[in-house]
Amino acid sequence: MAYFITTEKMSVGYDGHPLIENIDIALEKGEILTLIGPNGAGKSTILKSIAGQLKLIDGRVIIDGKDKENISRDEMARTMAVVWTDRIMTELMTCEEVVTTGRYPYTGRFGIPDKADREAVREAMELTHVTEIGDAYFDKLSDGQKQRVMLARAICQEPDIIILDEPTSYLDIRYKLEFLSCLQELKRKKDLTVIMSLHELELAGKISDKILCIKDGYVDRCGSPEEIFTKGYIGELFGISEENFLWYL
Amino acid sequence: MQSDRRMRYLISFLILGIGMVMLLIFNICIGSVRISFGEILRSLGGTDITNERIIWDIRFPRAVAAMILGGALSLSGYLLQTFFRNPIAGPFVLGISSGAKMVVAIVMIFLMGRAIRVNSLTLIAAAFVGSMISMGFVLVIAGRVDKMSTLIVSGIMIGYICSAVTEILITFAGDAEIVNLHNWSRGSFSGISWDNIPVMSVVVLLAFIMTVMIAKQLEAYTLGDSYAMNLGVNLKGLRALMVILTGILSASVVAFAGPVSFVGIAVPHLVKAMMKSAKPIIMIPASFLGGGISCLLCDLIARTLIAPTELSISSVTAVFGAPVVLWVMINRNRKRMS
Repeated sequence: MAYFITTEKMSVGYDGHPLIENIDIALEKGEILTLIGPNGAGKSTILKSIAGQLKLIDGRVIIDGKDKENISRDEMARTMAVVWTDRIMTELMTCEEVVTTGRYPYTGRFGIPDKADREAVREAMELTHVTEIGDAYFDKLSDGQKQRVMLARAICQEPDIIILDEPTSYLDIRYKLEFLSCLQELKRKKDLTVIMSLHELELAGKISDKILCIKDGYVDRCGSPEEIFTKGYIGELFGISEENFLWYL
Repeated sequence: MQSDRRMRYLISFLILGIGMVMLLIFNICIGSVRISFGEILRSLGGTDITNERIIWDIRFPRAVAAMILGGALSLSGYLLQTFFRNPIAGPFVLGISSGAKMVVAIVMIFLMGRAIRVNSLTLIAAAFVGSMISMGFVLVIAGRVDKMSTLIVSGIMIGYICSAVTEILITFAGDAEIVNLHNWSRGSFSGISWDNIPVMSVVVLLAFIMTVMIAKQLEAYTLGDSYAMNLGVNLKGLRALMVILTGILSASVVAFAGPVSFVGIAVPHLVKAMMKSAKPIIMIPASFLGGGISCLLCDLIARTLIAPTELSISSVTAVFGAPVVLWVMINRNRKRMS
């Protein structure tokens, strides 16, 4: 099967200085890739570069056989959705309104949602369990609720690829598990391809088809969870001794 | 809930619309010569009455100008606040009005000195150049500092410099005609005639329509650069358009009425509180109406409070606008603390 999204010799970084070089990612449609590694290793930098927020220092991102550079803004907006960790300022915006912004690539000149748009919003909100807080103002929510609203926003954008930067960091255990099943459902129903960074290794192991380990400016390992979680490796990746975290796994 | 919200928009727009019409009538009726509403109607009907000249040549164009320019001012404030994602931005505090004033003063002094008549379009063009110069400085500073307060202080400083230059120019100009500039440079709707209205209306209307056309992009822009970009917004193009529209709107105000303080910064907050929404497609027309109402009210007070002497419009708008800005700042601070 042909890969849906690949990166070829991608180098990412800031202001022309590469932070991580030669990243080769290859994902089929509906696969979940998780980036793990210590803080500051460059996981967000990679995600931002794939999303086009940061200019690539070198290499290419190819989506469905096309160089991302040659894909129009509108087409990209329908292909890829993102959830970042930075807070958004949403004065007087209700959750539903925030989610509805995900329909931007589909609405007309003035951005007024039609019936199909509202249906997509409703569905996405149900999927992430934020229907009850739809009328609440977004800035009054807890961080966990905000995270779920932003996920709903990305889902109703109906992308083929979704990029998530630490999407579970503010979620409690119940919502972490629900988030997992939500991603699996999206993968199964909509063939959604997911690229995300996670700090929770146990979640990463359970949900991912592929895991990319980043350490000190290079891609240390890439493979299936079974290939990654070998004895001694996680300790090495994070620079800790294994007995300190065995209880954690 | 959604129907509740729609009802609120509808009622708020009705209040704004009725308020605008009523104030327009008050502005024509009230003054050193009191004119009854009946007289206005008779005048409209073409019946000759004694006060026709006062209605048609003085008060009507002045009120229409206050309405249009007030709307333009408030809309430019709204655009600036959206652009900088900063609630206390406005054309006056960021020095954009003063920049426009400076260039208009230079052009007027130069042309009047050569006995050339200055037309409305030239005035707007001069004001636009001036506002773009100030905006350029503000943008350079905004690119270097991230702090909201520093940006505002820099804007105020730019404003002071431009105002000082204008004052010096006017003082040294000294010609009887030019002395009149002094009134204008302090901000006033007096002296606006029907000759100015067509150009003013067309320019402001075009800028208004353009702003409505980018309402959708503005909504995505409020989510922040990274989300806006992901949604397919052309950030550079949108930013450039916002800067140009702000420039045109505040330039139109300065060209005819001089710098008017606080309407641009305060009115968008008031209508936002009224609508309980920050949706651009609602905020754009609401800000425009709100700005028109504020300027009509403030001009009425400026003309009548100590008649026959007129106050400068800015001294009235400041009395109403400054507390609103303080309220916004205190409110935000409280939110951040909680």
